[in-house]
Amino acid sequence: MFGGQDSKQHTVQPYVTGTSVIGLKCADGVVLGADTLVSYGSLAKNRKTSRLMTVSNHCSLGFSGEYSDFQEIKSTLEELMISEYCMADNIPMQPRAIHQYLARVMYEARNKQDPLYNQLVIGGVLPATGEGYLGLVDLLGTNYESEMIATGYGTYIALPLLRKAYRPDITVAEGRKVIEDCLRVLYYRDARSIDTVQISTVTKEGAETTEPFKLETSWDFKKFKAGSRLIDESTW
Amino acid sequence: MNIDLSEALDTKYGRSGLSCEVGPDAVELGEEHVLTIPNVPRPDKFLSDSFKGQEAEVLKFAHGTTTLAFVFKHGIIAAVDSRASMGVYIGSGTVKKIIEINPFLLGTMAGGAADCSFWERDLGRQCRLFELRNKERISVAAASKLLVNSVSRFRGMGLSMGTMIMGWDKTGPALFYVDNDGTRLKGNLFSVGSGSTFAMGVLDIGYKYDLSVEEACELGRRSIYHATHRDGASGGIINIYHVGEDGWTKISSEDSAQKHYQYKAESTEQASAPMVTS
Amino acid sequence: MMDFGTPVLEPGSANGTKQVPQFNPYQDNGGTVASIAGDDYVIVAADTRFTLGYSIPTRKISRVLKINDKVMLGTAGMQADTCALHKVISTRMRMYEHDNNKRMTFNAVSQMLSTVLYYKRFFPYYTFNIVAGLDDKGEGWVCGYDAIGSFEQRKIVCNGAGTKLMQPVFDNQVDWAQSWDGAGKPNLSLEQATDLMKDAFTSAAEREITVGDTLQIYKITKDGIQLEEFELKKD
Repeated sequence: MFGGQDSKQHTVQPYVTGTSVIGLKCADGVVLGADTLVSYGSLAKNRKTSRLMTVSNHCSLGFSGEYSDFQEIKSTLEELMISEYCMADNIPMQPRAIHQYLARVMYEARNKQDPLYNQLVIGGVLPATGEGYLGLVDLLGTNYESEMIATGYGTYIALPLLRKAYRPDITVAEGRKVIEDCLRVLYYRDARSIDTVQISTVTKEGAETTEPFKLETSWDFKKFKAGSRLIDESTW
Repeated sequence: MNIDLSEALDTKYGRSGLSCEVGPDAVELGEEHVLTIPNVPRPDKFLSDSFKGQEAEVLKFAHGTTTLAFVFKHGIIAAVDSRASMGVYIGSGTVKKIIEINPFLLGTMAGGAADCSFWERDLGRQCRLFELRNKERISVAAASKLLVNSVSRFRGMGLSMGTMIMGWDKTGPALFYVDNDGTRLKGNLFSVGSGSTFAMGVLDIGYKYDLSVEEACELGRRSIYHATHRDGASGGIINIYHVGEDGWTKISSEDSAQKHYQYKAESTEQASAPMVTS
Repeated sequence: MMDFGTPVLEPGSANGTKQVPQFNPYQDNGGTVASIAGDDYVIVAADTRFTLGYSIPTRKISRVLKINDKVMLGTAGMQADTCALHKVISTRMRMYEHDNNKRMTFNAVSQMLSTVLYYKRFFPYYTFNIVAGLDDKGEGWVCGYDAIGSFEQRKIVCNGAGTKLMQPVFDNQVDWAQSWDGAGKPNLSLEQATDLMKDAFTSAAEREITVGDTLQIYKITKDGIQLEEFELKKD
């Protein structure tokens, strides 16, 4: 048979994983957020691993999924940025180009039946206009742009909150608060998350990723304390 | 991996022993294009693994067909239906199942529609190259051999094709049956597809070598009609082609449903005694 | 939804030889594309909903590629394959223009797509395509494809998730399929065709969960291509 017998065994399951990444497009840029936990199954393997990276002055990237595959992507991207720098043409690579580049990398990997087990969220600004850019790529090469993006559990928990909070004229300062709130809600309900988070903001002035910081949390909600069944009005 | 294509490319006609080196995930086709093969331990099982149980519905457009062709005194008649089913859904009711390879060659379509139309188009390309190299038309025997060689390279990979290649060459009318297992048979009468048994029953009763062209066309038409009536996977339009000394001509294209009422009316007219009803 | 939660092999698992499932490179992102062709026009319509299982990660993706002023390509199915296919078709189209110093005709595009799809016969693009355009005489036509390149040229085609709901209605309203003699067969105007298309998609959105959000209708006439957007249900 063609191909066949000498093809090697590839990654078919992620092992060391990060949970949700969320992003919101704003009028003057983009905000990305993620916690800093990488898990090994149900083990909290590393509590302070950055899951966001600054790609360039105009672009940030966050990942969920397999950590080792992300490290591979990260070094590929860093090489790309060095060759960009070597061009010395003063034409920065646009976030959209970086997004499409990653989409091709991910799609080629899936075509080889050896996927990079990640979902990547790309946030950036168009240097000329200062308009925000937000996009997603997954392990199959699926790619799209949107005003708000969330991966993993964030699709169910954060995305509706982001959709509710979004306005076309929302500022990065406001967006940062929304992202922080979403991360907090995720921390309350996602068992594979942690309260140490990072937030990356990208504006015309540049891309900036905060140091990991602790979320302020409150566990005093009635339902947290009593358990929801106890105060159910239902007669069941 | 090396795949020696010297046997696949017919050395007797045209390019002499050509050996290509191709990667594990590609097989060369023609000058520059390749068919990609998935990089998995069992590429032949890849599609059925990926689309468990729904492969037929998702990827195979035409399945279930009635096609027939026979040689007689004045050439060859080819008759087909036009239904393409995807599972129980009728994907199309107007498929052209007789493929015009060139003015002297016809092929029929049964099995995967894409497999038939792609390889028979590729056959057209190969036949044209033969003409340019040899300054004469290819024989039907050689043409059908080119086709069977093409599909044999992918034997066991899931191609689905049951076709009849027919035409008129120096030897007169010639008809061959070719399929994806690598079968190639010369014969005077074939019928292929899920409705073929019904068609064959009608065809065998009416077949004589000495039929006139009109009689032969009507025999083909009736055979397909009866197949469309009893085989759920056959239906739509009945297309008839005739292959003569000067190449093929399209005879007719008629709706099988309309034929039903026409035949019914004719049979009541002809019935001398009243029908017995309970 | 991809679940990154629990690896099959738990740390310290006694059974190290547990069967790991094979990676499935395919995904269905839904969507429907449809096209109606007339004597001097052809319209291409596609919804913009992007689904992943029961989730809707985004409501605005494009399924349509403009090949040139006279030909367009619409694709439903898997988004990553759609994107790759559109890139391949765009480059092949550009190469053709440079090689032949002319634009690709409708027939050239339709045949090219068929072979491009078939080249991946054993690892298909999980895409369901239509190519719509005006021929040399300015008449509208559309070709419908299966995933591996089998195609048929017609006046009305739809492809993708909503096919089974929409195609029978189109057969009846456009092809007059249930009338044998073709008596009374309507010759739809561009406006009538657009209205029929809107009705078909609103109805499909009612019963097919992967259809909805926004309908993009591209109208191809001798004067070029015009886009009309029509809102579908968002639930």
